[in-house]
Amino acid sequence: MGHFLLHRLLRTFPAVWGVVSVIFIISRLLTQEQVLNHRFGEGETGSHVASPAQRQLAELQIRQRLGLTAPLFYFSAAPPPVAGLALRWQWNGAHNQYHNWLRQLLHADLGVSFRDDQPVVSLLLQSLRYTLPLTIGAALSCLALAWLLTPRLGRKSRGRSLLLTSLYLIDAAPLFVVSLLLLLLLANPEMVALFPAYGLGREDPTATWLVHFQTMAYHLALPMLTLTLASLPALVVQLDAALNHELRADYVLTARAKGLPDALVIRRHVLRNALIPVLALLTELLPSLVAGSVVVEMIFSLPGMGRLLAAAAAAHDYPVLLGGVLTVALVRVWGQVVADWLSFQADPRIRLPL
Amino acid sequence: MRRFLLGIASVLCLVACSPSPSHQSSTIRIRWPRDPENLDPLVAPNSHAVEILNLLHCSLLSIDYNQKEFVPWLVEAMPVVRQRDSLTLVTYQLRSEASWDNGLPVLASDVVFTLKVMNCPGLPNEASRAQYGFIQNIEPDPADERRFTLSFRGRARELVHSSGDYPILPEHQLDPQKHLRRVSLAALRADTVPNKRRQQPDITAFVQRYQRANLNRQPENLAGCGPYRLVDWQTDRYVALQRKANWWGDRVKAAPPQLQAKPAAIDYEIIADEATAVLALRRGDIDIYPMMPAKDFLALRQNKAATQLSFYTADSYEMIAAGFNTRQPELQDARTRQALSYLFDIPGLIQASQQGMAYPSVSLVSPAAGESYHDSLPLLTFNTQRAQDLLRSAGWQQQAQGWTRRVANGTLQHLKPSISYRAGNPAYEAIALQFRTAAAKIGIPVQPRPTEASLFTEHLRTGNVELYLQLLSGNPFTYNFTPILHSQSIGWGNFTGFGTAASDQLIEAIATEGDPKRQAHLLRKFQYLLRQECPLVVLYFLQYRLAATNRLTNLHATGIRPGYEAAAIQSLPAGTIQP
Repeated sequence: MGHFLLHRLLRTFPAVWGVVSVIFIISRLLTQEQVLNHRFGEGETGSHVASPAQRQLAELQIRQRLGLTAPLFYFSAAPPPVAGLALRWQWNGAHNQYHNWLRQLLHADLGVSFRDDQPVVSLLLQSLRYTLPLTIGAALSCLALAWLLTPRLGRKSRGRSLLLTSLYLIDAAPLFVVSLLLLLLLANPEMVALFPAYGLGREDPTATWLVHFQTMAYHLALPMLTLTLASLPALVVQLDAALNHELRADYVLTARAKGLPDALVIRRHVLRNALIPVLALLTELLPSLVAGSVVVEMIFSLPGMGRLLAAAAAAHDYPVLLGGVLTVALVRVWGQVVADWLSFQADPRIRLPL
Repeated sequence: MRRFLLGIASVLCLVACSPSPSHQSSTIRIRWPRDPENLDPLVAPNSHAVEILNLLHCSLLSIDYNQKEFVPWLVEAMPVVRQRDSLTLVTYQLRSEASWDNGLPVLASDVVFTLKVMNCPGLPNEASRAQYGFIQNIEPDPADERRFTLSFRGRARELVHSSGDYPILPEHQLDPQKHLRRVSLAALRADTVPNKRRQQPDITAFVQRYQRANLNRQPENLAGCGPYRLVDWQTDRYVALQRKANWWGDRVKAAPPQLQAKPAAIDYEIIADEATAVLALRRGDIDIYPMMPAKDFLALRQNKAATQLSFYTADSYEMIAAGFNTRQPELQDARTRQALSYLFDIPGLIQASQQGMAYPSVSLVSPAAGESYHDSLPLLTFNTQRAQDLLRSAGWQQQAQGWTRRVANGTLQHLKPSISYRAGNPAYEAIALQFRTAAAKIGIPVQPRPTEASLFTEHLRTGNVELYLQLLSGNPFTYNFTPILHSQSIGWGNFTGFGTAASDQLIEAIATEGDPKRQAHLLRKFQYLLRQECPLVVLYFLQYRLAATNRLTNLHATGIRPGYEAAAIQSLPAGTIQP
């Protein structure tokens, strides 16, 4: 097992490094106007605004402060007098943006945000503080519901087709529609105002952990329900297909012939075999556990990872964006390793690739 | 089934046991769509940050939203302005009551310190430096420690206003060792190379102390002399301010409106989604929803169940304009630009994109500006026949392949302009589509080009646009069209590429003219010139919309951002509804 883990990690590490490096280079090649222009009141016709020369100088100073004036990579295209008919390259040495970023990364330092100079690591951790309870809660609710619904899926009945039709309907609706419908149904004074409409309530440093937990659960209930409903169809439909495939096997017939009730046949015997294709799907959920859900976080005004990354992308805050992408990429790789390991646990006949 | 019922019971138990949000009736809760992000007074990256900083700190001058003019805030009266050669000297007298939270008075030395901080290398003050770098010197009065004179080159009225429009910072808190006193303002202004500061230990020591304060995210580390202090800021959730019990403004006899701060607490609730914000307003979770989208505003106003709400509108100084890049060969002559401007159906656009809640104007000056507004000029009308006539007079001919003309060097020009705008804004999309449809009717193919915000700015700067849509903003105090139409701003803010010696001279004259009557005359002349040359056309001025609960009094919607004056709002006790 140790060999397997080591081998997989060594194999996937270059992929993560490659993905993040490519994103780093591409993002820095894009225009930085958004970062630089936020204070200069473009299009103002009244108040005193800086002259073009002052703005040019200010932009240069901001670039210097953010470390954007150094060459991007170890080499770059040579400036026009050197580059003649053929494209020539110029060696920039270790003093380049990529080298500095990589060196920081090796010290587990993802840099600071362009917007507020805060360390990216602390921003990500702060967002995960709200995202993880939401996404893990939703994932667990989803699993629990799938577990409850499993015996119904094995039987060809009206209930099963009704359930599948409802799930297809939910799956067809965009996430924002599901979110808004739940909000308008369950947080609306004109319908039923059971839940709060937004946010997480007030931080009270004097509150006990129980009150803290209760407040969090109360505010996260509706977003969690939305995410659960949104992820349930894929899981249940896949499980249904796998179960129906397995139910045709001879060992099921034997189990039934022994007189086992249907629910027990499915949970004890069939589910274990039907789980293998579903496991891959489950581990696909892992990256979204840390990436959060932009739509749900926007609609319910939750300060999670999805909203942080969306805001960073809109403001071209690349250190935060890269930190988020790196985290999600690492979890994805880890998820694939976990999927392999779980498949092995579910069916020992599967050989772990080395 | 039993488990299902158990689940329902636990949810109901959670709801029943959950703590209900406590709300003091003296707290005003205002909706914001986004976080202020950075509350360092040197950075203030957006209008929300500026709004908070104006409650935490005081500037020398403030704005009277009702009179629409600058008024004294930290100072006794508007400054005395004198001219000495090419220099303008502006003398301020600080109020004797003005003090910091620890009782120390606000002195001229604090203003000197603030100017030095705004010019100190190594701090994130690039924008402040660019904006206030025009202030060349400050001379404290040796006989009066509350009196000082600022000097700068130029005579524009807006420079006098700008000279008092930045938060004053406390020297005793940020620089108790008085490091910056040992460095002159002139030396700091001249030092624009970041590494040079390392040679000056005083600057390095101060910069390190300032950075340690982490004012970006912990503005509570700096107690300003404003009426409020920040008590809690949870990123992307809320910002809570509380009124100081012993604010110096309370000691001013017959305090003017700018020295009154009514709410005991102000909470800014950050609700990103508009539909959720409407629901929060209806539930009573927030008191004020400013900058409301027209669609939601009208729907809520017509909803008979929303009796607990009041609705306000104010004519703003923000306008949506269509610009013509005059550097493009097809758009070089004024008649072509005039012809294309007749293809905008402005009343239709106001209805389609703003639900009728906007107002047209002949040019860049608001119709509310009295004499300065050129009311003799007719509003632009939608007239395809007139557009075709003008195109023909500009040398264009309608042929099978569209409108073409042969220019002096013999090349054939095709009139098939693109219209660029920031992607994701429904108003811009509606305008671009209406323009394309109208142009298609007379045989001009128009290509809408929705572009990502940053890329759009880059395209504007490099001149890689033909027609473009842009939000322009003005104010009721001063007129300065240099940033958007002066030839020296081409590529920086003047994306039309327009600028002649006569127009530049007129723009400069408007900016420096001190006499309102003469300025109004110049403004009318400028509006006429713009109509003739047509480098840009104003489609409409926006209205600010605001919905608020009935329990609020003294709430005035204003046409200046943020659209209300939070410190002036008063609230009736909970449960009281205004008739």
